Amino acid sequence: MFLQRLNPSLKALTILLFVVLLALIFDPITPSLFLIWTVSITFLFGKVAWKKYVLYFIPFMIFAFGMLWTTVIFADAPANKNDILLIFGMEYPRESILTALALSLRVLNVAALSLLFIFTTNIAHFILSMMQQLRLPPKIAYAVLAGYRFLPMMRDEIKIIHDAHRVRGVNQAKTIKEKWNNYKRYSIPLLASAIRKAERTAMAMESKGFTGDKDRTFYRQFTIRKTDWFFPLVMLIGFTTAVIVSFEMGFLKIFS
Amino acid sequence: MANWRFKEIVVMAALSVVFGVVYLAFLPLGGVLVGFFGPIGYDFIFGIWFIVSIIAAYIIRKPGAAFLSETIAAMVEVLIGNAIGPMLIVTGMVQGLGAEAAFAATRWKNYSVWILMAAGVGSAVTSFIYGYFMSGYAALAPGYVTAMFIVRMISGALIAGLLGKALSDGLAQTGVLSSFALGKEYRKKNAA
Repeated sequence: MFLQRLNPSLKALTILLFVVLLALIFDPITPSLFLIWTVSITFLFGKVAWKKYVLYFIPFMIFAFGMLWTTVIFADAPANKNDILLIFGMEYPRESILTALALSLRVLNVAALSLLFIFTTNIAHFILSMMQQLRLPPKIAYAVLAGYRFLPMMRDEIKIIHDAHRVRGVNQAKTIKEKWNNYKRYSIPLLASAIRKAERTAMAMESKGFTGDKDRTFYRQFTIRKTDWFFPLVMLIGFTTAVIVSFEMGFLKIFS
Repeated sequence: MANWRFKEIVVMAALSVVFGVVYLAFLPLGGVLVGFFGPIGYDFIFGIWFIVSIIAAYIIRKPGAAFLSETIAAMVEVLIGNAIGPMLIVTGMVQGLGAEAAFAATRWKNYSVWILMAAGVGSAVTSFIYGYFMSGYAALAPGYVTAMFIVRMISGALIAGLLGKALSDGLAQTGVLSSFALGKEYRKKNAA
């Protein structure tokens, strides 16, 4: 609940900060501990449907797994060649395995952080808040909001173009190659209609008095309250704890 | 931003939104390629992720078009919910800066095919430097990293530069760009 009510800009900046901090860490313990922390926070303080969460998380697992084996195989020559781990009867340098684990756990951790953001943030609120807290120019903010509204229309547009082509005798695509060709044929009309729509929207907005002036009022006000700072604080505690535990275990490795 | 017409901003945003979705659609394809070739898999198709910079800059021809469009496209990817998270906005900015640098080098005057390809390469260079630190390429063998870099630059020149130009020219022929820089150039060419 509390994650949904956080100021969206502050939430985004906090998450960016920890993604950057994670990029400096090259050991497997810190990201695994912080991953547990992030996921716990997501479920404790945000009403997130776990089924949906798992569904979104699976692609990252596949990506992380790909990262794991490719990093082991294409790893730089390790400093200590005699330090070897045995996995499934094959010998691997211990250092490569640890780095690979660290990189793939980092992928998972970044994934958990971004899911925390996506599942608890309303898109329009985020853009409005960026305008109010991060000084995003209103011209760009409202242009993006308008563009974002085009997305569902675009789906209808594809249907229309598809039907138009069928009326003119273009066969329905069955193979992947035909589908690909269809998309090639759709691309120009689709983009053309998007541009026309954008042009009309811009004219409509200007004719109704939109100047893009920074000195404007908002129907929905966003502010950063004192309680909002609780989130970065909680995340910082989790991260520091992970780093300290990793250091105590003798694993901690910072980018060098 | 001051000399931009609002129409141009909204059209740029609309293009960015469309390509934000296209970018997302290409992520799984990249994932499959990575599965086969290792991290270099992404680099074969990396150019697709620079394409909106080239299209927006080529159509609108104002300083900032390449940078802003790529940034907005990344923002849209984040808002829809993607594999990489809010950090993707920074990635988009870095890529946009690379393309913008190429256009800035000509003082936003020249939009020939070579400059468009150079912009694709520019995005490849900046995105690679960024990826080197953020994705930990440092842990990979130097020969492999070099191969990744070269493949990404070629992909940037071909997919972003050439395909981006082809799409924009196709659009210009439909006439929807008549009030934008590229459409005006077309009209002049046809009149002559």
